[in-house]
Amino acid sequence: MNVDARPKIIGAAVQRREDPRLLTGQGRFVDDINLPRMLHIAFCRSDHAHARVLEVDVAAAAAMPGVVAIFTGADVLGTFNPIRATSRMADYYATELPVLAHDKVRYVGEAVAAVVAESRYLAEDAAECIAVSYEPLGHAVDVQANAEPGGPLLHEDAGTNVIVSRSFQRGDADGAMADAAVRVGATFRMHRKTPAAMENRGYVADYDPGRRALTLHSTTQVPGIVRDALEEMLEIPGNRLHVMAPDMGGGFGGKASLYPEEALVCLLSRRLGRPVKWLSDRLEDLLTTTQAFDEIVEAELACDEGGHILGLRADCLGDVGAYSVYPWTAAMEPVQVVSFLPGPYRVSNYRARARAVATSKAPTGAYRGVGRPISAFVMERLMDMAAAKLGLDPLEMRRRNMVRADEFPYKSASGIVWDKCGFMECLESVTADYDALRRQQAAARAEGRWVGLGLASYAELTGLGSRIAVAPGMPVNTGTETATIRIDSTGAVTAHFGIASHGQGLETTLAQVIAEELGVRVEDVEVIHGSTQGLAHGTGTFASRSSVLAGGAAIITARAVREQVLKAAAHMFEADAGDLDAAGGEIFVTGTDRSMSFRQLAKALYSEMGRFPKALREQIELQATRMYDPYFGTTSPASHLAMVEVDPETYGVTILHYGVADDCGRVINPLIVDGQVHGGVAQGIGAALMEEVVHDGAGQILTASLMDYVLPTAVEIPSMSVHHVEEFLPDNVGGFRGMGEGGTIGAPAALANAVSDAVGEDINVLPMTPERLYCLLNRDEE
Amino acid sequence: MIAVVVNGVSYERAVEPRMLLADFLRYELGLTGTHVGCEQGVCGACTVIMNGDSVRACLCFAVQADGAEIETVEGLGTVDDLNPLQQAFQEHHALQCGFCTPGMLMTGVDLLRKYPLATDREIREGLSGNLCRCTGYEHIVRAIRSVVGRSVVGRSVAGHER
Amino acid sequence: MKPPAFEYLAPRTLEQAVAALGAEDAKILAGGQSLVPMLNFRLLAPSLLVDITRIPGLDNVDDWDGGLRIGALTRHHALETSPLVRDRFPVLHAAMAEVAHLAIRNRGTIGGSLCHGDPAAELPGMAVLLDAQLQTTQRTIPAAEFYDGTLSTVLGADEILTDIMLPALPPGTGWGFEEFARRSGDFALAAVGVLIGGEVRIVAIGANEKPIRLLNAEALFNDASDIDAVAEAAGKEVSPEGDLHGSAEYRRHLVKVLTRRALRAAWERTS
Ligand SMILES: Cc1cc2nc3c(=O)[nH]c(=O)nc-3n(C[C@H](O)[C@H](O)[C@H](O)COP(=O)(O)OP(=O)(O)OC[C@H]3O[C@@H](n4cnc5c(N)ncnc54)[C@H](O)[C@@H]3O)c2cc1C
Ligand code: FES
Ligand code: FES
Repeated sequence: MNVDARPKIIGAAVQRREDPRLLTGQGRFVDDINLPRMLHIAFCRSDHAHARVLEVDVAAAAAMPGVVAIFTGADVLGTFNPIRATSRMADYYATELPVLAHDKVRYVGEAVAAVVAESRYLAEDAAECIAVSYEPLGHAVDVQANAEPGGPLLHEDAGTNVIVSRSFQRGDADGAMADAAVRVGATFRMHRKTPAAMENRGYVADYDPGRRALTLHSTTQVPGIVRDALEEMLEIPGNRLHVMAPDMGGGFGGKASLYPEEALVCLLSRRLGRPVKWLSDRLEDLLTTTQAFDEIVEAELACDEGGHILGLRADCLGDVGAYSVYPWTAAMEPVQVVSFLPGPYRVSNYRARARAVATSKAPTGAYRGVGRPISAFVMERLMDMAAAKLGLDPLEMRRRNMVRADEFPYKSASGIVWDKCGFMECLESVTADYDALRRQQAAARAEGRWVGLGLASYAELTGLGSRIAVAPGMPVNTGTETATIRIDSTGAVTAHFGIASHGQGLETTLAQVIAEELGVRVEDVEVIHGSTQGLAHGTGTFASRSSVLAGGAAIITARAVREQVLKAAAHMFEADAGDLDAAGGEIFVTGTDRSMSFRQLAKALYSEMGRFPKALREQIELQATRMYDPYFGTTSPASHLAMVEVDPETYGVTILHYGVADDCGRVINPLIVDGQVHGGVAQGIGAALMEEVVHDGAGQILTASLMDYVLPTAVEIPSMSVHHVEEFLPDNVGGFRGMGEGGTIGAPAALANAVSDAVGEDINVLPMTPERLYCLLNRDEE
Repeated sequence: MIAVVVNGVSYERAVEPRMLLADFLRYELGLTGTHVGCEQGVCGACTVIMNGDSVRACLCFAVQADGAEIETVEGLGTVDDLNPLQQAFQEHHALQCGFCTPGMLMTGVDLLRKYPLATDREIREGLSGNLCRCTGYEHIVRAIRSVVGRSVVGRSVAGHER
Repeated sequence: MKPPAFEYLAPRTLEQAVAALGAEDAKILAGGQSLVPMLNFRLLAPSLLVDITRIPGLDNVDDWDGGLRIGALTRHHALETSPLVRDRFPVLHAAMAEVAHLAIRNRGTIGGSLCHGDPAAELPGMAVLLDAQLQTTQRTIPAAEFYDGTLSTVLGADEILTDIMLPALPPGTGWGFEEFARRSGDFALAAVGVLIGGEVRIVAIGANEKPIRLLNAEALFNDASDIDAVAEAAGKEVSPEGDLHGSAEYRRHLVKVLTRRALRAAWERTS
């Protein structure tokens, strides 16, 4: 066989290995795990947003049928080491993460007591009978009010509600502003979202008193981080503490933090000596799963007459809710907003501040895009506003400011380095039909229809290495990924990773990478992920890191194993290892018809005595463990183009065209990349037009059901055209760029611009619900 | 005591009146393919077919299903022998996390049996009661569309002859 | 979100059902598509559910003197696909397409929708628009007198709605139905149904605590030239409440817009 004739597996639309089980109802999700003697938890949750807990009366509940035990915050205090999301960052206050509220509650839905009962039905019956008396502590709901001193404090120890404050500066933004020909600015607002994975969170803890070992089945994107945190909290060493994420029904960041309930089920399983399950219902999910994107950004952009950016200023106020989430901290989102604000543009003068303000709402955490949907929304609006003032077409405005191919690597105004990638190529690709769409728009407008076009370009850093933290100074390293690949005595290949795939299809893409590098078939490779067993260290799947980091680890590890395979085969063929090759599960001497299968080789090596001399046998190991660290990260840029129509009477928005061009580096599996983009854009559309977590002035959440938290359906999401620019990526072993989040980053910006264009008014608040458009466009008349 | 036929198998069980059909299928019969995402009828993950109609298993008590014939995702096809709709889902990458998938498939089966699905719009409207947070729906629409064109009509779509 | 405990009965006759409803805190269960979510949220805790869906003979759509008699247990999907409904009451047929989603329509009953009485639901509005007579186990109630508030009817605790009678429309009646919802299948932010036949009838849905005829607006209508004025009056005649999906002002505006659109459509359909 000729090397070049080998089938290319990386880049092929291989069908997913996880599909057959998921399509036939044979997946195994946390709620599918039902263990003998298992107990169920239901919580009594706070109906106050900010109050002192005076008394929790569990007597009536304890007498209910099926109740095994009831725990309050006071009952568990002192039975574990409390945990905080610490950080080396200055001006940061790390809040405690209580597993059950004690002393006070800080948001509606915070767990006050846990009922453990024989069934969920009975547990809920009892939870209803728990009587809690509260002393209200004053509203701390409004982010702007909380940012000022003098109001009620959520965390008295902190002495302020502003728990993070951080500034950036490059050049002289104020000076640049002062002399600029054109200045545009506004206060932008993105309202709070919730990740709303279709599977709610859930945990099953199974403590084995005999072995003093704990197994936690968790809907977590970060089993490694959870394991390490639980070790601290429970003092169970890692070799007796197994955290595993089985099949997971989506996460989007909502399952990427350590949760109080997650630690509590472990505590209670150990205490009661029985398996304990808690499964969030949708109401609890909407009350307690980490929320996101709640920012107010005051921003200003200055340009010269030619539309070239001179300076940028921004002040971001992030409403981060009641606690600083573990391990990301409350800094993650607001700081990312200003870190990424300059986007793919040349900005030499920049000044920005980000503050995270605690409020009595569910904590915010990671959600697809983290901060950058707001960055892109603000920057891309400013670009359009400036273009309008200058009479420039928005496309031309971007062309004039985008970092060009000869400028890479480019250090952005906030210090992020953009490596070589296709900024311009994406912009040009997505606008291939731009003129035709503009003509269509003109024709529609001539008929009185409100049709608008909106562009958005952005760049993100994905696959972050050890040099760059997801949030500044946070307590865990997420910049490396380890793989162990093993060929066992049957010749089968098993690969362990620390990631936790939950829809991304990594069982398939990583198998593709390994198959190609090792020379086996995709179906020969079993990818084990989502488990802390089998690897010394791992974190999980978040921040568009898995293809880059796990893909990179897969390559270097597979190469190491391949070397061993060829060395062993060389002995058996009595040939030079350099003359051997492997593909499709066969090892062969190139240019001859001599070959053997991986199975034959493994049997000979492991099981057939006397086939290898002792010295050689001791040298060969058909397994390897390697760690990959991309050190910085890889740039993933994209441009989006949306055409919308707004009904001039009802203010309903219909998307007529949606195009995305992204640079995802080398594509591992085109079907899967397209799927990531479609899904990301759909969430961006939700963020732009529909989704909003609403609280009233007392901190009660009004969007506590999926009737009221409005997720897009198949009717609201349009068909999309997606194009991948595959720019070669230097200094990166796989050449992959992260693709998990981009869709969500670009869509709100593109849609805000498109709707602004359609209605002729600046859209500076998202989501643009029909109600908001109505108010915006009728404010003079009413 | 209730009697139901699920995927062709008869079961008799004593159940509490308040036991939801979804919980009955999942915890009493161990058929965990039917998923639960909201328990208020919005997400569609729990959709099963009861007496030939797609229904929400979270909005139906098991006692109401007494005497009924129920089809769940487990009855469509097996890992080694996917039915045409399941195959189409795999070919078109119509699932990511797979949590909404059982409900999507059961809704798809009901739609394919009852409606001509001449346009994508019709498919999208038919799916509007099934939320998917992963796929952006595009590939699901394509998968269903690909089966409309083929000779899989009527009940045979379910691969469950009666 | 698990429902509280209750007893369950599935009587085979109306008499048995009425008798069972004599128990304190008993509740009728039909399709369950409104009741079960409320139970799952524990907003209600009935002692007994009386499942009326096993009572035969209440799910037919039959001729009623040129109009239709519809059994209370007729499922939404059956109404949506009934040729009789489509031919005689195309406005109802059009409205049915906007009700929820296939799986909900497969279970939900017309009786359940009418008795639940969601102010934004299509069927109660259609009953008012079509001047339905609602037959219960005790009496006949005109649709316009059926509701005494949001989610509240004049029915007694042991009174069962059995049939919905829709009187025939004059030949050539034009109709229009316009709805605006945030998503496909959602309850309406506002909807308007219009008939132009012997008289003009305009009903607004989602704009008051219950569906209402807009009598002042109707009175202004003579022909197509009045449409804008009627629409304007319709917007003034409703008294919507704001919620998180739409303010009172916006809903009022929607009623105006939808009335105009429905009137135009109805006018074009008159013959
Ligand atoms: C996700 C979702 C979306 C929906 N969207 C819409 C929508 O867009 N538009 C819309 O109109 N509806 C919508 N619905 C509601 C749906 O139409 C319900 O089916 C309907 O409102 C109730 O009918 P049911 O037969 O299911 O009644 P049930 O839920 O069984 O009963 C409802 C109430 O009526 C009483 N009742 C039922 N039958 C009788 C009777 N014969 N006599 C006296 N009392 C009776 C019950 O005691 C109960 O109080 C939606 C529901 C869901 C879950
Ligand atoms: S669980 Fe039944 S519709 Fe969501
Ligand atoms: S595939 Fe994950 S929700 Fe649809």
